[in-house]
Amino acid sequence: MDELTNVWQEPFSLFGYHNSFMTLNMTSLIMTWIVMVVLILFAYFATRKASLIPHPVQVVAESLINIFYNLVVDTLDEERAKKYFPLICSLFMFLLMCNWIGAIPMMAEPTRDLNTTLGMGILGGVISHYSGIRAKGIKGYLKEYFSPMWFMAPLNAIGEVAQVVSVSFRLYGNILGGAIIIIIGSQLLKSIIVPPALVMYFGLFVGTVQAFVFTMLTLVYISLKVK
Amino acid sequence: MFDALTATHAAMYLGAGLSIGLGAIGAAVGEGYTAGAANESLSYRPEKSGEVLKNMLVGQAIAESAAIFALVIAIILIFSKSPSENYIIAWDYIGAGLAMGLSAIGSGIGSGFPAAELCRGIVRQPLYGTKLLTTMLVSAAICQTTAIYGMIIALLLLFVDNSSLALYPGWGAILGAGLAAGFGAIGPGIGEGVAAGEAVKSISRNPEASDVLTRTMLVGMAVTESTGVYALVIALLLIVM
Repeated sequence: MDELTNVWQEPFSLFGYHNSFMTLNMTSLIMTWIVMVVLILFAYFATRKASLIPHPVQVVAESLINIFYNLVVDTLDEERAKKYFPLICSLFMFLLMCNWIGAIPMMAEPTRDLNTTLGMGILGGVISHYSGIRAKGIKGYLKEYFSPMWFMAPLNAIGEVAQVVSVSFRLYGNILGGAIIIIIGSQLLKSIIVPPALVMYFGLFVGTVQAFVFTMLTLVYISLKVK
Repeated sequence: MFDALTATHAAMYLGAGLSIGLGAIGAAVGEGYTAGAANESLSYRPEKSGEVLKNMLVGQAIAESAAIFALVIAIILIFSKSPSENYIIAWDYIGAGLAMGLSAIGSGIGSGFPAAELCRGIVRQPLYGTKLLTTMLVSAAICQTTAIYGMIIALLLLFVDNSSLALYPGWGAILGAGLAAGFGAIGPGIGEGVAAGEAVKSISRNPEASDVLTRTMLVGMAVTESTGVYALVIALLLIVM
């Protein structure tokens, strides 16, 4: 269990000011950088020498983009899809790589850290509220809160916060749970077959499903605000 | 020998058992229902077995996450090395176990309904598989919101330091918070599951209407969830006050 309990943290201070929140989680930070490098390399190799007869990396990128473009068009409409599709697709690719990187030995998922998932959740929440204001104007946006009856307003406001929190904790809980099961399974059963099977199920399969769920929920929340 | 240290240790183990023991109920029921629906749908179109099996596994993976949350809390309880001299901490552990365990029941059962309807829908409308799968994933994930509220209350009870709280009546507030988050989550989980299942079924009947069906499902689920939000608010008030 040492992998989970001993977190590499670095406190820092800004202009001589310091409190207990000002700590860097170095493991998550480094892993996020690795994920970003992997994604940038993927983008570079996918678009380099792009041709009508695609090379293997280009095929992967094009099919991914096709699937997500159709999903965004289905949920929003043709015009808004062009605006939100880059965000949705790159959010999915980032989270997918974050969840998959734990399958490599010595690596830890950044999504195992609540700070990463909460950050992504807040990103989605802010974007959905901003696009709601942009689409309906501030009056129409505020009217939504009083929508069924006026006294539902406080509950609607709590519901908005709860959406962001639940989306983040869902990803965090699933990935952390998978990581715990993999670690305990590998310690209890020192076999060759069981831990890789656990990694395949909890790391790769559940990781893909949860990355997709997070992306789709962000998209659905945006569509609920703008329509 | 019964002192505060023994009591906190015992409460830790009791809380872990409550968390995963109660939390495993719902997910297992939901997954079994999904598997049953997959079998039933294969009797209509046995040649679709590969596709139905794949979708069944995705649905079960979603339904299982409530039990995985319960496992996380149970493992944190077992391995947390902070037994204390304070009786109030013992109630924290029991409250956390109850909050997580009870709240996972409803979501596990609820997430099973859309997953089962996905299996039935795939054999009815094989061409709309992706649309059905997306609707199922979104709706089953929303079914779990109340289990996540339970997990938040459990984590708050575990990690917020309230050792300065008076034992009487502090233990009642902590146990009440756990029970509120736990029992309050059972109904919304199952109710949202019914809404989600019917939405997936309706899309498999009439895929062209999926836009309005999804929208109605989301609004209905938000209203269903409001009782779970009441429970969360009361639990938070009990912890903070």
